[in-house]
Amino acid sequence: MDKTYIIGRDAVPSDIRLAEGESMRLTLFVPEGTDCALDLTVSLDGPGASLDLAGGWRCNGSENVSLKVTVRHNVPGCTSRQLFKGVVGGSARASFDGLVYVAPGAIHTDAVQESRTLLLSDSATAEARPQLEIYADDVKCSHGATTGYLNPEELFYMRSRGIPEAEARAMQVEAFLAPILNRLV
Amino acid sequence: MSDILLEIKDLHAGIEGREILRGVDLTIRRGEVHAIMGPNGAGKSTLSAVLAGRPDYTVTAGSVSYDGRDLLALAPEERAWAGIFLSFQYPVEIPGVSINNFMKAALNARRKAAGQPELKPAEFLRLLKEKMAFVQMKGEFAKRDVNVGFSGGEKKRNEIFQMAMLEPTLSILDETDSGLDVDALRIVADGVNALRTPQTASIVITHYQRLLEYIVPDVVHVLKNGRIVLTGGRELVDRIETQGYDSIDG
Repeated sequence: MDKTYIIGRDAVPSDIRLAEGESMRLTLFVPEGTDCALDLTVSLDGPGASLDLAGGWRCNGSENVSLKVTVRHNVPGCTSRQLFKGVVGGSARASFDGLVYVAPGAIHTDAVQESRTLLLSDSATAEARPQLEIYADDVKCSHGATTGYLNPEELFYMRSRGIPEAEARAMQVEAFLAPILNRLV
Repeated sequence: MSDILLEIKDLHAGIEGREILRGVDLTIRRGEVHAIMGPNGAGKSTLSAVLAGRPDYTVTAGSVSYDGRDLLALAPEERAWAGIFLSFQYPVEIPGVSINNFMKAALNARRKAAGQPELKPAEFLRLLKEKMAFVQMKGEFAKRDVNVGFSGGEKKRNEIFQMAMLEPTLSILDETDSGLDVDALRIVADGVNALRTPQTASIVITHYQRLLEYIVPDVVHVLKNGRIVLTGGRELVDRIETQGYDSIDG
């Protein structure tokens, strides 16, 4: 199952459930100029279910973007992969809450969550709160969150070859979001 | 067209409030290759950074005239459009940007600045293939992200490939020999030599004499403590090789 939701255009279900052996490739994207407050739960309810979730947001004005994503590993032997990438510029605010919940008895859970933010201006704010709640033994879970700026070395290298500054910045932003944008086409 | 391509007068520059160049004077004519040699910390890389317009360096005094224009007033991209090319000592990795897209953006930006139409995709591809072959880079590199996972030699060849694509009027090679084995050195030097024309000039910045066996300079300068302390012909290279930089007063 392959689902893509463009926020502001598509209605996103708040509750997605995967049964035994089901796998889902889910992509969420918040385009520029979109405010949103999204609260999504994906439950892995049957053994062997797997989720591949990618989410991205790009804001460059005064957007207010809030994403809350919960992935519940309710039974043993399920897999989840989550990658979130956000570009936050202008005076936009973006917050990401990501919870991975592993229920009692959901052994052999394999969960990875990663969130990366690119800040484009000093007046933009971005918060990321990754959380793991693990109530079962013998699981593999990891999460990571980073926030960074455009790399000045890359910018100068591109400009030294004749790429104008604005275009060089845009290319870096595209490159950063590519893992998400590539899933939209 | 003036014979003089670059004229640096009493250039003082530094980074983070620390003065590194303390009055550099240098005149380069079209058709010439100048070597700038010097010990570590002499200011060689600062000079190349200032000429290319690196934003974190500050010029505190002096002037640089390039092709009759005030070079220091130009943004880095404008310098590239005017024909300046810096081969980086440490070429930068750009994850997510392929060599193909990188060069297309660079070439078309310069064409736009010159009032020329964009290259047609087939023309661009032909040019790309031709110049990659010129530095013995495999065609598959075009799809790879710029410098990501490249060996030292591959990065330097990629610099010369870009130079061949952009056909600069003034090329500045900053320690292009560092970290290269003899084969890679020869490829790089052959590339640079093949791009020499009576209208263009090169500045070869190096600590060692090795590269200058392959790229033969017309003029050799010794940079020490932020100043050019000695200028001469090729014989200077041998003197530095046998007597070292300490033999030269600075």
